[in-house]
Amino acid sequence: MNFKGTLPTLILEALAQQPNHGYRIAQQIKERSQGVLNFKEGTLYPALHRLENEGHVESHEDIENGRPRRYYRITRSGRKTLTKDRAEWLQLSQAVTTILGEA
Amino acid sequence: MSAFDCWLREATRRLSKDSAATVRSEIRDHYESALEAARTGCRPASEAERVAIAALGDPAAANREYRRVLLTSFEAGALREGNAEARVFCSPYIKWPIRAIPVALVIAAVAIFFNGAWALASDLFAGGIAIGFLFVAPFFPVYTPARGRAFRVLKWIVVLATIALVFRAGDRNWIWLLPSCLWPMIWTEWTRMSIRRKLPVARWPKQLYL
Repeated sequence: MNFKGTLPTLILEALAQQPNHGYRIAQQIKERSQGVLNFKEGTLYPALHRLENEGHVESHEDIENGRPRRYYRITRSGRKTLTKDRAEWLQLSQAVTTILGEA
Repeated sequence: MSAFDCWLREATRRLSKDSAATVRSEIRDHYESALEAARTGCRPASEAERVAIAALGDPAAANREYRRVLLTSFEAGALREGNAEARVFCSPYIKWPIRAIPVALVIAAVAIFFNGAWALASDLFAGGIAIGFLFVAPFFPVYTPARGRAFRVLKWIVVLATIALVFRAGDRNWIWLLPSCLWPMIWTEWTRMSIRRKLPVARWPKQLYL
């Protein structure tokens, strides 16, 4: 399903649960949407970089199984943005549901 | 070259060396995690590789997204050149001769004014003030994004006011010079704007504030 523009919000939501690395974030989004949101994983990292540049997430490198791995964590500004995005999305989806429900 | 290496080469096209290294490291880690997950699910190696690459998607699309958030080779070059220029500009041997140029222009303007060539004197005076403003800019205490924005607005007001003064009603014959004079400034401003969006403020060199 095409969900262009909502990927940053979904990433913030995944990170609000717990800090994680890129692969796990992608799998978490797919699992929680029961496979409906099957996005291309190559676009996940540019979205993470953008969120990091905007100060919504921060990252640090850690070693896991002898391999360096970058972990991401949501910041206070990221939580604020997530709350705002969640409210906007609920409002939008309710409006669309109302219109489509009328048909 | 494996299919994964081809994917990486396409995804890192036109990115700076550092950006490309970041992309290679994070995508390789992601790819290896996907392979491990596929092996746990008892998929054959070739099938696991095919699925992992397909999950990454179109490398050209990823490259477009990466170029929006990471420095390109052009931008990294512009940043390096800017840093080198700033070092030369602030070096003790160049600093004072460069500062003398606008002062010399203003003194010449005053001298010419008293000789009666008022139009030329006002052009030289405006040029001296504008050049002086731009030359002393690196020494201003502009080190926060808000001050940087205020400085850039002021800079463009000074530049446009100087242009308006120099190319006033009678001097329109030389107006064709304007694009060639302004183009480098506009191009530099555009490049710096793009870099500002990509670099966290903590990593901004002085030139990005100006």
